Amino acid sequence: MKDLTDLLHKRAHMLALTRRFFAEKNIIEVDCPAVLTYPNLDDHIDVIKLHVTPNRYLHTSPEYAMKRLLAAGAPAIYQLSHVYRKGEVGPLHNPEFSLVEWYRKNVTFSFFLDEVINFIRLFVGDVPYHKMSYRKAFVEYAKIDYLVANTEDLTKVLKDNKVDFASQDKLDKDGYLHLIFSHIIEPNLPKEELIVIYDYPASQAALSQIKEKDEEMVAERFEIFFQGIELANGYHELTDHKEQRKRFETSLAKRKEELPLDEKFLKALEKGFGDCFGVAIGFDRLLMLHLKKETIHDVLPFSWEEI
Amino acid sequence: MAQISTGDIRPGMKIEMNNEPYIVVINDFVKPGKGQAFNRIKFKNIISGRVVEKTYKSGDKLTLADVEEKQMRLLYTEQDAAVFMDDNTFEQLTVPFSVIKENRKWLLDDTLYETVFYKGEIIDIIPPTFMEIKITKTDPGYRGDTASGRVMKPATVSTGAIIQVPIFVEEEETIKVDTRTGEYVSRV
Repeated sequence: MKDLTDLLHKRAHMLALTRRFFAEKNIIEVDCPAVLTYPNLDDHIDVIKLHVTPNRYLHTSPEYAMKRLLAAGAPAIYQLSHVYRKGEVGPLHNPEFSLVEWYRKNVTFSFFLDEVINFIRLFVGDVPYHKMSYRKAFVEYAKIDYLVANTEDLTKVLKDNKVDFASQDKLDKDGYLHLIFSHIIEPNLPKEELIVIYDYPASQAALSQIKEKDEEMVAERFEIFFQGIELANGYHELTDHKEQRKRFETSLAKRKEELPLDEKFLKALEKGFGDCFGVAIGFDRLLMLHLKKETIHDVLPFSWEEI
Repeated sequence: MAQISTGDIRPGMKIEMNNEPYIVVINDFVKPGKGQAFNRIKFKNIISGRVVEKTYKSGDKLTLADVEEKQMRLLYTEQDAAVFMDDNTFEQLTVPFSVIKENRKWLLDDTLYETVFYKGEIIDIIPPTFMEIKITKTDPGYRGDTASGRVMKPATVSTGAIIQVPIFVEEEETIKVDTRTGEYVSRV
């Protein structure tokens, strides 16, 4: 049984510290709607559709609306809100959870990363951090260069590490990379430091910019892990509206369900908001680590199963 | 049999794979924020006891195994089998020791067991977690034993199991045993 009183105090305290962290930096709080007309389009995130007319969707992150604010001239902004992802239930997942998301214009990657690390340290203490490229992480922990590997090579890595992938349908190359990352690399990352994985494959760019690096096209995207748990996902934000439209259309083509494109968001990108970094961090997972709890359900007033 | 989606699979459910029944031990949801969702499931083969771990794309469907459990009372044991009875229907069932395997050492007349059927065939019997059984043979404890650091001694109980008991426990006493570990719990 949860000690609810204790949990509520600690949760409230960390929410207050979060707000203070941003207030001290003049990053202003925004509260964009959770109910959207145009859903977030992520290849692997399912949106919860509401039973109302006209169609409305729960946001999976406030990203599109926040970027519209950036384009409208908002300075550095953050949002601390509940987000919703269909079907995600597990020790580290609850379909409704709290996300801290913020954006900074005209800063360097190292400035932004320091800020993100300092935010995470509010919860996990003054631990060191270590940067490693996605490609290096594969060489180090899966003993393979993902760039030149084909799906057969990746299948062999799984076999060598005794991961029995039993689905009837095969995965595409990125599917195998996700499988290896989550089953082989993540559990073996050093536990005592924050691990920053950066320079993702261009095929996993999501909403980040793509650049060329040693004959490799990489996405300027980073993720942060602590004790094997994924905490943060950040981008050097894609601001090219034509490229963004192309990515949306590719993503839509893979879906069975027809979903509308957020033209208002694309219009905002066309107007532009300059050079920008952004990140989204799972607040509940930070709280889990802070309170040394085993599951996300232990730090929620009521989990998906309890409400 | 019915199909079940990986997202709905819970520990304790029975799944059929390659014509063998498995019990789900853990179903772990693994999903990189921006990546494919997987279910990593640990299964235990109900017949062989072997544990396997497999990963599926979330949303894959698995087949439920036709496994039924019911309580039956042990009537008596024979040369190479035990005879159980269903208290409700009075139906009797002879279960060969080759099915009972290592649980043979927990067979006590007039005790209720969980019997497990796969496609109508008996495949396992599960003894109560705690049983009260009489000690039939154990050497007396000597005072000198504790001095040499020895505080436990072997004792044979009426079902045939050999249990480590404290040296003060004597023959003919009844003790409570945890059948999952085969460990002594207390005197009765």
